[in-house]
Amino acid sequence: MAKKIMVIDDEQDIVKYMTVLFEDHGYEVISATDGSEALKILDDSVPDLITLDLQMDKVWGPQFYRNMSKNPALKDIPVIVVSGVARPELAIKKAAAVVSKPFDPEELIRIVREHIGE
Amino acid sequence: MTTPNQTTILLVDDEEGIRRVLSVALSDMGYRVLTAENGREGLALFKAERPPIVITDIKMPDIDGVDLLRMIKEIDPDTEVVMITGHGDMDTAIQSFQREASDFIIKPIHVDNLEASLRRVERRILAREKLREYTHSLESLLHRKTKEYAGLERLLQSRGAEPEAGDIIHRFQRLFDDLPCHVAIIDEDLVLTATNRKFRRDFGDREGEVCYRVLKQADSPCPECPVLAAFKTGESQEGETEIKTPAGDAHPVLVWTSPVRTTGGGDPTHVLALYTDMAQINRVQDHLRSLGLMVGSISHSIKGMLTGLDGGMYLLDSGLRKGDDGRVNEGLCLVKEMVGRIRRMVLDVLLFSKDRGLKKAETSVCEFAEGAATGIRPLAAEHGIDFLLECPEDAGKFEVDAALLRTAVVNVLENAVDACIEEKGREFHRIVFRVRGDDKEVVFEVEDDGVGMDEETREKMTALFFSSKERKGTGLGLYITNRTVQEHGGTVAADSEPGRGTVFTIRIPRIAGTPKEASGQTGAPGGGAS
Repeated sequence: MAKKIMVIDDEQDIVKYMTVLFEDHGYEVISATDGSEALKILDDSVPDLITLDLQMDKVWGPQFYRNMSKNPALKDIPVIVVSGVARPELAIKKAAAVVSKPFDPEELIRIVREHIGE
Repeated sequence: MTTPNQTTILLVDDEEGIRRVLSVALSDMGYRVLTAENGREGLALFKAERPPIVITDIKMPDIDGVDLLRMIKEIDPDTEVVMITGHGDMDTAIQSFQREASDFIIKPIHVDNLEASLRRVERRILAREKLREYTHSLESLLHRKTKEYAGLERLLQSRGAEPEAGDIIHRFQRLFDDLPCHVAIIDEDLVLTATNRKFRRDFGDREGEVCYRVLKQADSPCPECPVLAAFKTGESQEGETEIKTPAGDAHPVLVWTSPVRTTGGGDPTHVLALYTDMAQINRVQDHLRSLGLMVGSISHSIKGMLTGLDGGMYLLDSGLRKGDDGRVNEGLCLVKEMVGRIRRMVLDVLLFSKDRGLKKAETSVCEFAEGAATGIRPLAAEHGIDFLLECPEDAGKFEVDAALLRTAVVNVLENAVDACIEEKGREFHRIVFRVRGDDKEVVFEVEDDGVGMDEETREKMTALFFSSKERKGTGLGLYITNRTVQEHGGTVAADSEPGRGTVFTIRIPRIAGTPKEASGQTGAPGGGAS
């Protein structure tokens, strides 16, 4: 069965981009445009990996991560921070990886494969 | 066509088209133009012709513009070098300024911008020549008067009288006092033995104290002291430095030092030092201000747009490969949308970089504070920092250029966020943005519990290009804040210690006054200087 990735980003265009990118590489994709929506979706559907933007209006990246870490069912899912802020590595210290926007799609795919395989 | 008074400009660019177009434009402006198509050729031409002004592209194969700048400055530090830069080369542009480039022009090059830039450069050359004239005439005057005085002394002595040279000394003193720059006579121990009126007005009566303490509030001589160099070489020296009045105002100055020999030849006993305020440098710095605002405020949105553009291209590519017309269309739309956004932003930036004076208007203090807070909330939130705005409802109104001042205040807020991110001892951080004031002024306080600053950082933080943030800082943020607040007749001060956070206090008069020249505290902001 295909591995599942959740894309969280407040820009619809970027969600679309990452969705197509991951689907083209054989992954199943679910998505959300802010942290609170993501948490709701996670009640029903648990992905193998999450890509997380930091700057979002409602529940921002670090807050989402704090909430998600409290849930035993979710806390071990690898999270890749994908953000355009300066020094995103400081925001979530336990992130599996940090990717700066704009990113190289092949590099992102390589990192995803490193964590969850094909 | 060459006339004797024509200024020569060396133009170095690897693109033939640019060389051709700029040559014509520069010739039309009355310059004699030499061109070179690469750094090596440019350097050879520079050595042969020694033009006072060089315009060079940054990106060139072989020797690039920044290297060429460095080599030219080594040969003749007075050469004015203007850099041509693309939009992507902000880092290199800043690097060039640190290597003392005079100015830069962004591609595509508009003749108006080129002309304005060359005007600034020529003003700078003129200022330097004027200073040289001042010093030379002062030097020869000093020489003549010393001789006259010695002659008079001999004459008086031969009459058996004490020298009565009061009149000559008085006239000399008047000239010394009237010079429109800071003048000091300094002895071998770097002690000030005489100072002129302007010097005393700005620094107080400090004769008998060492120059570096008075002029720089430093505990040791400057590394490349032009006074010591004049003693050592017996020749005039010049350099650029920054002096600081006891009131805290920093002035970039051109220093000219000249050895004084009181008795016929021999080793100099004193050095005459002249410090001329570089108002011309300030013009270049004004230009930099817009660059600083650009770098700070747009980098995040640029990254977003580039990601969107990448996305559009990926969709296009993927759609074409799979024969999925819907996807091709989506990709096209996204590319169009991003290109539009990028174009709008570039236009905004171009508009913003143009010189503008203050556009003051009556503004509600609370609305202003809320506006500045809105600019920083997402960043604070992103890093899990509590951000609190405290503004009393009756904070009233003030007369300011809200857009400019907002950027100045946001710079301080951004620094507070950076200081909190940098501080890793506490799990949670908090920034309080407090507004208070009375009927005369409005006071903004930014309090953070971040890393804090040591004394050195606090002193340097408003200096151009000083940054405590390693590669991240441009060294422009607090410089800009300080300038903008001063333009509003206000002051910036910082209270901070390492590990104990920082409180920045910005005071703005309610009614637009004139900028404060030499009063008030000028320290300045930031949890670290940006």
